[in-house]
Amino acid sequence: MRLPFALFLALSCSPAFAQLDLSGEWASRYTWDFLERLPGPELGDYLGLPINNAARLKANSWEASTQTIPERQCIPHGADYLFSRAGFPMRIWTEEDPATQKIIAIRIRSYAWSVERTIWMDGRPHPSKYARHTWQGFSTGQWNGNVLTVTTTHLKWNYIRRNGVPRSDEATVTEHFARHGDYLTLLTYIDDPVYITEPLLRTSGYYLDPQQQLEPFPCEPVEEVVRPEGAVPHHLPGTNKDIDEFPAKYGLPAATAMGGAETMYPGYAIPPGPKQVGSPSETTTGLEILPVQKNIYMLAGDGGNITLQIGNDGVLLVDTGLAEMSDQALAAIRKFTNKPIHYILNTHVHADHIGGNEAFGKAGNTITGGDVADDIKGLEKGAAIIAHDRVLERMSASAPFAALPTDVYRGKQKDLYFNDEPVVLLHQPAAHTDGDSLVFFRGSDVISTGDIFVTTSYPVIDLDRGGSIQGIIDALNRIIEITVPAALQEGGTLVIPGHGRICDEADVVEYRDMVTIIRDRIADMLKRGMTLEQVKAARPTEDYDPRYGASAAFIEAVYRSLSK
Amino acid sequence: MTRYVVLATLITAACLCAQEEEVPAPATKPVAEKSAREEAPIDLTGYWTAVVTQDWRWRMVTPKKGDFPGIPLNPEGRKLANAWDPGKDEASGDQCKAYGAVGIMRMPTRLHITWQDDNTLRIDTDAGTQTRLFHFRGSKVEAGAPQWQGSSAAQWEFVRTKIPPHVPGPIHGGSLKVVTTRMRPGYLRKNGVPYGANAVLTEYFDVTTEPNGWQSILLTTILEDTQYLAQSILLNTNFRKLPDASGWSPTPCTAR
Repeated sequence: MRLPFALFLALSCSPAFAQLDLSGEWASRYTWDFLERLPGPELGDYLGLPINNAARLKANSWEASTQTIPERQCIPHGADYLFSRAGFPMRIWTEEDPATQKIIAIRIRSYAWSVERTIWMDGRPHPSKYARHTWQGFSTGQWNGNVLTVTTTHLKWNYIRRNGVPRSDEATVTEHFARHGDYLTLLTYIDDPVYITEPLLRTSGYYLDPQQQLEPFPCEPVEEVVRPEGAVPHHLPGTNKDIDEFPAKYGLPAATAMGGAETMYPGYAIPPGPKQVGSPSETTTGLEILPVQKNIYMLAGDGGNITLQIGNDGVLLVDTGLAEMSDQALAAIRKFTNKPIHYILNTHVHADHIGGNEAFGKAGNTITGGDVADDIKGLEKGAAIIAHDRVLERMSASAPFAALPTDVYRGKQKDLYFNDEPVVLLHQPAAHTDGDSLVFFRGSDVISTGDIFVTTSYPVIDLDRGGSIQGIIDALNRIIEITVPAALQEGGTLVIPGHGRICDEADVVEYRDMVTIIRDRIADMLKRGMTLEQVKAARPTEDYDPRYGASAAFIEAVYRSLSK
Repeated sequence: MTRYVVLATLITAACLCAQEEEVPAPATKPVAEKSAREEAPIDLTGYWTAVVTQDWRWRMVTPKKGDFPGIPLNPEGRKLANAWDPGKDEASGDQCKAYGAVGIMRMPTRLHITWQDDNTLRIDTDAGTQTRLFHFRGSKVEAGAPQWQGSSAAQWEFVRTKIPPHVPGPIHGGSLKVVTTRMRPGYLRKNGVPYGANAVLTEYFDVTTEPNGWQSILLTTILEDTQYLAQSILLNTNFRKLPDASGWSPTPCTAR
């Protein structure tokens, strides 16, 4: 019998049945893509990536030694890169409901950093858009024939290629796992409205290796490079010569090495697909109260975020949102807890953070005792409103008396003890304004930052009210000093920004780096004698604009702040 | 010797497959009466384009001689790859050595997939203007000397949940498995990385739908070649569906 006829005999007795169980020890086989996956891609190799100019500038500014910053050393690959590109050995298993034996979740453990990932199979929805993002994101899965399709949202920023090509925290990732006997294939679809012009598709493969053992992969940050406090390694625009080596080495045009959607296809001229519909996380609207950690909750959707500390003693609020939203916000809080509001802490003077002072103050009451020993006279007085003295000074001219702080501090910090934990207000001079306070809940391990840190825009530097770029950077570094991450630079101390979602230290580090890099660029332009118009025309924020939006006011504020 | 081992494996596979047939079938029209086209659990027909977002340097352009890191060539394979001479291939009329069944699916190519008949799926490529024929039910085996595209035996792999003790549920989806043999020796990478006459190419085709409506072919490729490879190669490639034939641009094979 000739071999081909044997094959036909073997294959002609259809039907065969594909497998639906992905469980097992899966190993990588590095062949064609060995160089990119193990040693890592070369600098300036953006071939075949559908990236935009913002991504190119960010990648060209990337300096490899940034990974030696202690806060970055233990950051693992994001879910999309870890499984579809790095392709470390992994274990897959399922978790069943004991009663029904239905699969609740598929779990994956990677050798790299011992990362564990959960793919929920029980139909639960994705979290609120204000919920915290993580390196592995939030994943749900469903079977389509023999293919497991996984949708992941709530990812932290990461990279598309491990040479600085970024993937933003607004990306949604769809993965398709297909098993054929001892082989497992993964197709990953990344949609990132910030850094790519059309979805990125890529594939990876594994083979079953029952003898595989996954060893622990501990990571402990150390001081690898001694550098000035707050220094962020990066290349100023146009100064990175390392990226020129790659196209020269392989005889490629420099423009081709810079990638772009047109480089992905034969002929470079494929019409784009239909526009994507919204991701699951975009469906949330209105006010939401989200648990943060221990005593702390966040009310989002009312102008600035409102932080709630709730315990046996009552309710403490950090900021009060917009005046016109006070009734709705109060109703939302009352629906959530019937405890009395005793304290309101203002992080700064802006209307979207103090607008509800009067309404919330009247709805609450002041208690005596503990370390509250000011001029409190009785319960009828309303909730105590505490802020830095500069807030009272700036509010006095225009705000109604009932909205004014009842208690101010003038030094570096003010201490409270409420709901069985220390609450510390830390003055950050000349940052967003001159009256900013960080509020640190030491027992719950949460910091409420006001507008020193936001996830929705560039920082606003209110120069007229005493803000400065250096003060913003100093305050961001102060937050990073206070925060302590849990394993893999994730979780631990949580951070509530003035606007946007719940964060942790890694989010603040990325934001601090962005602000510092842009400060350095504009400082360099100033040194070269460029005018404000010339600086704006040079687009020093181009790599971040798709993520943080309009930048003209920020550029101008940085320019003027540095010119002082 | 290797051929007999493979043969034994295939016969064993055939037996196992026969055992699969012993599972009580659902009380519906016997599957065997349907053609491959009728029972297709996925639709592969249409125009598709390769999406080269990784391995670009080895796929979109011809790499330099000796640029084959990560390919598990044995000494004989390395020797042959290092002796690559495209001029010699051109002189002997072998410009299509990199466009055989192994190499063509890694090329920056578009695919046009159609049913040639009820039991033969056909793939035309515009890169190199090649044609692959996937034969279901042993409908035909290419006769004569081995060709670049070899002989491909195809079968659907159906997804059917089974509840013990062996109660088969309805079919819900599946994929295509293709095994290709009798290939004329060619290149798995354009810069002369070889595969031999006895190479066995196993491919699985899955179809996925993305959130924006794109459809993709997810191709899993396993190449076994004891002549030139120290171990099998696992490759993964994807193609995106195109709305129509626009962009279809047949080009001849090139050796460089």
